[in-house]
Amino acid sequence: MGKARKPIQIVILFLIVLVGGYAIGSSVFGGSGKPEEGSKAPAIDLLGLDGLGHTLDEYKGKAIVLNFWGSWCTPCVKEMPALQAQWEKWKDKDVVVIGINVGEDQMTVENFVKQVNIDFPILMDTGRDAVRNYGISPLPTTFFINAKGKIDSIHIGQLDLDSLDDQIGKLVD
Amino acid sequence: MSEREAFITNTKCECGHQNPVGTVLCEACGKPLGKESDWGENLEMRYDGVARRSQRVNPSIIDRVWNFFSSVKIAIYLIVLTLLGSMLGTIFPQESTFLNIDASSYYKQEYGTAGDIYYKLGLSHTYESWWFVTLLVMIGASLVICSLDRVLPLYKALTRQKIRKHRQFLTRQKAVLVTEVQEEPEAWVARVVQPMRKKGYRVKTDGGALLAEKHRFSRWGPYVIHIGLIIFLLAVLARGLPGLNMDQHLAFPQGEITQIPDTTYYLKNEKFTVEFYTDEEMPEEFRGKKILPKLFQTKAVLYKCTADCADPTKEPQLTEATTHNIQVNSPLDYKGLKAYQFDYDLTPVLRSVQPVLKNSTTGESYGKFKLDMKNPQRTITAGPYTMTLKEKYMDFGLNEDGQPISKSPYPNAPAFLFLIQGPNLPAEGQQYFYFPKQVDKSQFQQVAINDKLGGSNRFLELEVDNMSDVDFSESTTYLNIRIDRAMPFVWLGAAIVMLGLILGFYWQHRRIWLTVINGELILGGHTNKNWFGFRREIVFILEKVDMVVDEKSIDNGGGLT
Repeated sequence: MGKARKPIQIVILFLIVLVGGYAIGSSVFGGSGKPEEGSKAPAIDLLGLDGLGHTLDEYKGKAIVLNFWGSWCTPCVKEMPALQAQWEKWKDKDVVVIGINVGEDQMTVENFVKQVNIDFPILMDTGRDAVRNYGISPLPTTFFINAKGKIDSIHIGQLDLDSLDDQIGKLVD
Repeated sequence: MSEREAFITNTKCECGHQNPVGTVLCEACGKPLGKESDWGENLEMRYDGVARRSQRVNPSIIDRVWNFFSSVKIAIYLIVLTLLGSMLGTIFPQESTFLNIDASSYYKQEYGTAGDIYYKLGLSHTYESWWFVTLLVMIGASLVICSLDRVLPLYKALTRQKIRKHRQFLTRQKAVLVTEVQEEPEAWVARVVQPMRKKGYRVKTDGGALLAEKHRFSRWGPYVIHIGLIIFLLAVLARGLPGLNMDQHLAFPQGEITQIPDTTYYLKNEKFTVEFYTDEEMPEEFRGKKILPKLFQTKAVLYKCTADCADPTKEPQLTEATTHNIQVNSPLDYKGLKAYQFDYDLTPVLRSVQPVLKNSTTGESYGKFKLDMKNPQRTITAGPYTMTLKEKYMDFGLNEDGQPISKSPYPNAPAFLFLIQGPNLPAEGQQYFYFPKQVDKSQFQQVAINDKLGGSNRFLELEVDNMSDVDFSESTTYLNIRIDRAMPFVWLGAAIVMLGLILGFYWQHRRIWLTVINGELILGGHTNKNWFGFRREIVFILEKVDMVVDEKSIDNGGGLT
């Protein structure tokens, strides 16, 4: 007796630590399920205005400014020129600006893009899948995602040209 | 402790058996071990007097952890703490029960400072908090270790029972009989076997000694309960794994096929009906004040996506999986996916209209076309005229600069701007604003706008002939969609717990030892409960071998329980 049961004790304690660790770990780090600063940007797979499906993986190695907007949301409309300006400024420096329209139809989006004169990639989240995965509540919300696919910062509300420039600058460094 | 215990205790019994440290009754003959002054009136029969696994000299760190969890005292503390913790979670509503409430302000608004403190302490999600989960994990560990620590030695002790026991072991049971027997020991013992067997005992004899035992399995009841509880806990834990649990509240407008997020299922609300209580059916104080629904039902069709499910550039291909009339307490249930009736909204939502282009001077009309609120066709041919849809506003309004905009993405006040080209119109075409809703037509002055755009001598109008050309989603039903794949295991665990409870409650492990030696019968009996019934059974058996014994005389401190 005695010698044979030590390994059993160790195996059982190990299993308890494993299962218990998982349980406690997921309660501590699981959080609300919303992505936060520092967490990995959730995957998306959405139809673009160009008629093709797009995922974030296409922009691997690039910093991403992910802007959720709606044509009816006034601050979204107001920040579009700033986004367009920064898109033009940074597009050669491995930064991509992506607009995600929330739940509107193609015609509305196309008209809006023409009206505010933007040419960065626009994706359409008709089923609100990305909205759910990114835990968006008010619009506009902008995610700054670094080249490693991690969320660097989250901006809720209207962006202005200067702070946008600063934030992209930080993202690239 | 008054006296220092000896560093090494002698655990060898006088019968020659070497017992492990912590043994109370010799594993072989049953003689009580240790100092005579500690013995007491009756024997300590827990776990049959064997040492628990964790009792050993010089415990290592692993042993110490093991010992901590193997203690029933610790287990009780853990259970009490968990109980208190659970109570904290019931003071105010938990965050997990909210649908659209911002928790950070809700508690302060609703419950004042106490609510704010409650929220800041993290008690608004008690059952998901690290300390609560830690307590549950510790109880789980305690269940496993406590059981193993006791069940294995007990099993060994019960399978290796010796028939002949020490006199001390017999006379200090709680049911004891010492009396004279004239017969030869072996003959008497052989005679008593039959009535014992009749009572369901399994009897083993060894010359003038006998061991009769029944319902040993009831001793495993508590351990069966523990296995059930462990399965239960693991199942609850497994709900956190992806894909095993889902609980969401979704809106399904009537007539639309809506995807259930994170699944390949789509659900269509074909028809939603609601019936209200009439005034006569309601108690007096509610009459004329409240509207209470009597029945609400969603006629639902569940579809499963079979191809092109994840590709955003293609329409998913759906096949019908099942249909059900969902009512409160009668959910749709398909392969573990359940849809419960939860709420409804009777605000109609405009989906499409079918207007006709009319020449107001000649009265001619040029065919009907369908104008969808979502993804409308953009070029329409009506007779000799071509209409191009230029702009679409779902909730028409004007911004600060007087530009037409949509105030929300919902079709509350839809408006469409067409460019009409054809005979008798300017070459570049004529613009025409169309408000499908009558109320918007007058509010936003469709005629005035169009007069301004096309001049007062314009002659084309879009009109809806009758209400059958207007398609509404009459109402929206809210369903609670749930998947809980761990649930069968929760039930299994609960069923095993029940089995264990039945084993432990309805049977008792009864044992009778007896020795006939030098004309004297020494009988000792042990059961884990119902001593009263046990004593009666002994008296009944002895009667069959013509020995009349008073029931009370057998009692040796077993009480009347």
